[in-house]
Amino acid sequence: MRKKHQKNVWNSEINDIIRGACGGFLFGIPLLYTMEVWWIGSLAKPQLMMMAIALLFIVVFILNQTEGFRKRRYNWLGYQAAIDTVEAIAIGIVCCAFVLLLLRELTLETSLKEALGKTIYESVPFALGVALANQFLGDTRNSEQENGKAPNKGGELHATFADVGATVIGATVIAFNIAPTDEVAMLAAATSPPWELAMIAASLLISYGIVFQAGFSDQQKRRQQQGIFQRPSSETIMSYLVSLLAGAVMLWFFQKLTFSDPWTMWLDHTLVLGLPATIGGAAGRLAI
Amino acid sequence: MTQTEQQQPERSPAEWITFTVASFILAVIVGLVGYTWLNDNNQPPILSVSNKETIKEINGQFYVPFEVVNTGGDTAESVQIMAELVINGEVAETGEQQIDFLSSGETEEGAFIFRQNPGQGKLTLRVASYKLP
Repeated sequence: MRKKHQKNVWNSEINDIIRGACGGFLFGIPLLYTMEVWWIGSLAKPQLMMMAIALLFIVVFILNQTEGFRKRRYNWLGYQAAIDTVEAIAIGIVCCAFVLLLLRELTLETSLKEALGKTIYESVPFALGVALANQFLGDTRNSEQENGKAPNKGGELHATFADVGATVIGATVIAFNIAPTDEVAMLAAATSPPWELAMIAASLLISYGIVFQAGFSDQQKRRQQQGIFQRPSSETIMSYLVSLLAGAVMLWFFQKLTFSDPWTMWLDHTLVLGLPATIGGAAGRLAI
Repeated sequence: MTQTEQQQPERSPAEWITFTVASFILAVIVGLVGYTWLNDNNQPPILSVSNKETIKEINGQFYVPFEVVNTGGDTAESVQIMAELVINGEVAETGEQQIDFLSSGETEEGAFIFRQNPGQGKLTLRVASYKLP
C-alpha cells in the first residue's frame, strides 16, 4: 500500500514536469530558431538579465494562478502558485539550455556571460509556455466522456490517414514559420553527425512525451486509437518521418533546398527543421 | 464533505524534491548573473589576431588560417580583420574579413586566400576596427 502510493506520487510528479516541458516546447520552439534572440542574448547586460527574470516571475506567477502545468489544481493558494512559478522557470531554463546545446548555439567554449544571456532570453517564451501548458491542449478530464465510445473496427486505414493528416497540419503550422528563414542554413552549417543523431533522438523523445506521456487532452483516445501504427513506438516513428518529409517539402517550397543541392545538404537541413516540425506534428495529433 | 474538500492537500515528497531542485537551478542562474554583474568592470574589448597554423596550398591557392580572440571585457561587434601581402616592396594582395560578434574570451577562426605564395613576401594581419553594441 505504501509502496504503491509512493510510486503514484512520483509518477504524477514526472508527468506534470513532462507536461510543462511539452507546453514550453510548443510555445518556445519558434523563438529558439531566431538568430536575433541569440545575438541579443549574447550582448545582454547582467542588469537586463536580472530584470528579465524578475518580470518573467511576475507574469508566470499570474498565469499559474489560473492555469499552470499541473494536473492537480490548488493554484488558488498564492504560495502554491509561487512554487509552481519557480519550477516553471527552472523547467524553461533547463529545456532551453538543452536545445541550444543541441543546435550548437551553446558550446563548451561559449563564455559564461553569453551563455547566460542566450539561455535567459530564450527561456522567457519557454517558461510562458510551461505556464500555459494546460491552456494549450487541455487535460485528460475533457476526454473522459469519450471513453464510452465503441471503436470503429472498419476504420483502421481511415484512422491512419487521419493521423498522417493531423501530423502534417501540425508540422506545417509550427515549421512554416521557420522554413523560410536563414536560421536553418546557419544551424545546419554548424552541426555535425553526432549532434544530428542527438537531434533525432530528442525529436522522438519530445514527440513521444507530448502525445503519450504528458496527459494532455485526447491522450486516452490516442492510446485506444485504431490504425496501422497503433503502438506508441511505431506511431512516434511514423509521425517523425512524416514530419521530416513535411519539413523537406517546406524547405523546397521556400527554395531553401533545390534539386541541384547535394543530398547531404538535404539531410542536415531537413533534420534541423525536423525538430520543430515533429513537435508541431505531435501537437497536431492531439489538437485535431 | 464540504469541509473535507476544502482541506489543503499536502504537497507530496516528490513535489517538494522537484521544488528544491528547481529552486537550486534558479538560484544558480541568478547567482551567475549576479557574479557577471559584479565582475562587469566595463573593460573595453581587447582584440588580437594571429596565424598559428601552417599555410596550405590547394589547387594553386594559398590558404592562410587565422584566429582572432577577445581578451577584454565587453563584446565587440563587426570586428574587421585585414590581411596585406607585400612582395618586393609592393602590396601584391589584400584580404578582409568581418566577424559579427566577439564576446569576452571568445575566439573565432577563418582563413585568407591568396594566389601568390605568402612565403615569398611579408604578410601582415591586423584588426582594423570594431563597433560597440
